[in-house]
Amino acid sequence: MENIIQVDTLRKEFKSYSSRSGLKGAFRDLFTRNYKVIPAVKDISFTIKKGEMVGYIGENGAGKSTSIKMLTGILTPTSGSVVVNGMNPHKEREKFVRSIGVVFGQRSQLWWDIAVQESFRLLKKVYHVPDHVYESHMNHVIESLDIGPLLDKPVRKLSLGQRMRCELAAALLHNPSLLFLDEPTIGLDVLVKLKIRNFLKEINQKYQTTVLLTTHDLTDIEALCERVIMLDEGQIIYDGRLSKLKSSWGEGKQIEFQFADPKIEKLNLAVLTNDLQTEWTSGNKKNVWVANVVNDEELISEVIARVVAAHKITDIKIHEITTEEIIRNIYEEGVIQ
Amino acid sequence: MNYVAIFVQYVSQYIKTRLTYRVDMVIEMMSDLLFQAVNLVFILVVFGHTDFLSGWSREEIIFIYGFFLVPYAIFGAFFNIWDFNERYIVKGEMDRILTRPVHSLFQIILERMELESLFGTFTGIGVMVYAGYQLGLDISWFDPILFILFVVGGVLVYGGIFVLLACISFWSDSRTSIMPMMYNIGNYGRYPVDIYNQVIRFILTWILPFAFVGVYPSAYFLGKEEWYSYAFMTPVIGIVFFTISVFVWNIGVTKYRGAGN
Repeated sequence: MENIIQVDTLRKEFKSYSSRSGLKGAFRDLFTRNYKVIPAVKDISFTIKKGEMVGYIGENGAGKSTSIKMLTGILTPTSGSVVVNGMNPHKEREKFVRSIGVVFGQRSQLWWDIAVQESFRLLKKVYHVPDHVYESHMNHVIESLDIGPLLDKPVRKLSLGQRMRCELAAALLHNPSLLFLDEPTIGLDVLVKLKIRNFLKEINQKYQTTVLLTTHDLTDIEALCERVIMLDEGQIIYDGRLSKLKSSWGEGKQIEFQFADPKIEKLNLAVLTNDLQTEWTSGNKKNVWVANVVNDEELISEVIARVVAAHKITDIKIHEITTEEIIRNIYEEGVIQ
Repeated sequence: MNYVAIFVQYVSQYIKTRLTYRVDMVIEMMSDLLFQAVNLVFILVVFGHTDFLSGWSREEIIFIYGFFLVPYAIFGAFFNIWDFNERYIVKGEMDRILTRPVHSLFQIILERMELESLFGTFTGIGVMVYAGYQLGLDISWFDPILFILFVVGGVLVYGGIFVLLACISFWSDSRTSIMPMMYNIGNYGRYPVDIYNQVIRFILTWILPFAFVGVYPSAYFLGKEEWYSYAFMTPVIGIVFFTISVFVWNIGVTKYRGAGN
């Protein structure tokens, strides 16, 4: 399949100056400044194929926004190449942006004072969408996002969830083949989130729309994306299937025991399971100890059997490691493989 | 052309919004009118003490003022970019502009239009007609054409200068007070340049060519032949300045750093 996005050793540096401290320093800054070149994105490369839904994740300041802005033609790269939809986003900006849709969760694409449908009408002119295309396509979008009743209200009177659905509809007005979503579900309630996710899946299946999604909400990514690209300090630290990430990092399970006897110590437990591959850590409550084991039925049963036989317990829980924890672990350890 | 269609769409949208805020519109028009009246009174006060200013009579100066109001009103309607730095650069609204398939400067002009300002053209023409009548000026058939040409030139001069100033924000997003200062300097163009010294005259002609918005083109209609060559240069200067400013703008856009988030 064809590559929709092709990024090769893409780099973006920002020049910033560090101000000196104190009044004297401020005066010196007037004449000579200490410039520092800060790389926000360090030579990243990846490709995305048509119809893929990719999660783009990273901590704040990892370079997500900067790289998305280069992909959408807002920022000019310092070096490296970007080809999106067969075009150079910055060089052919006006032609290029016709082929993409953008939703920035924290920034409205709609006009604040006018009714939603008037905003749509303006955008329709801006994107040069013919009437019959607009009718057939948008009626469907409006219906599946359930925004019909909102169309005659001004944007400033909408709630966040309502506005977000309208934003999404506005971004899809010209039926772009590629959709960039930056934090589309920030601050939304579960129902709206679900509605938006279902809609994105539907669009993806119906039109083969490629979606690049940035979010801090990993449940969005779990629900939508098969592939994730993970950024840290301007570099890609993981690019691959979400399921693989989970299996290689989230293999283990945690068995949490709450003991009746308050005098239980790590040593007592370690002795019990010294011939099994188990690591004990203290839980977050009193008398709670957690056994970290690999995901193996026999081992889990054996550990539980031995512990329960030796000590009285009041509670027991088995946890699977969540994606969030996996990602936190990865960031704490820094690299993958 | 598509840009014309977009322009019409924006204008009709603008009018629709404005009609819902009727009181606002009336107040804005009134304050514009008041502002123009104050300026006129100032001219009258100056001439209360003298009849001539470097060989220009009171009516002639009033005529220049009237002419100046026309390009100034059109400029005010379409080039509301004095807060470009804060609104588009610091707040990052430029991101949104850049994701749309229309030239960024054109979009900003459309978004920031204030069409009420256009009423100033009527005031200006009114003042010119009054002063012209007092002076007994003749109008030939091509004068209206030249008038339009000179007005367009004046608008482009004003627009070019302010677009260039807005471009500074692409390189440095620190706040400067250069915009209000420039509005002040712009007012110098509506007095005869020969009342100023050589340096200021040079600046107002070649560096910040505000003289082309007021005195030079008016000099043609007032029949001051020594200024004719300057008067006919008005559209040229306008096109040159505006072209430069768009050119610099296009470079500036590539230097845009975006607001953090």
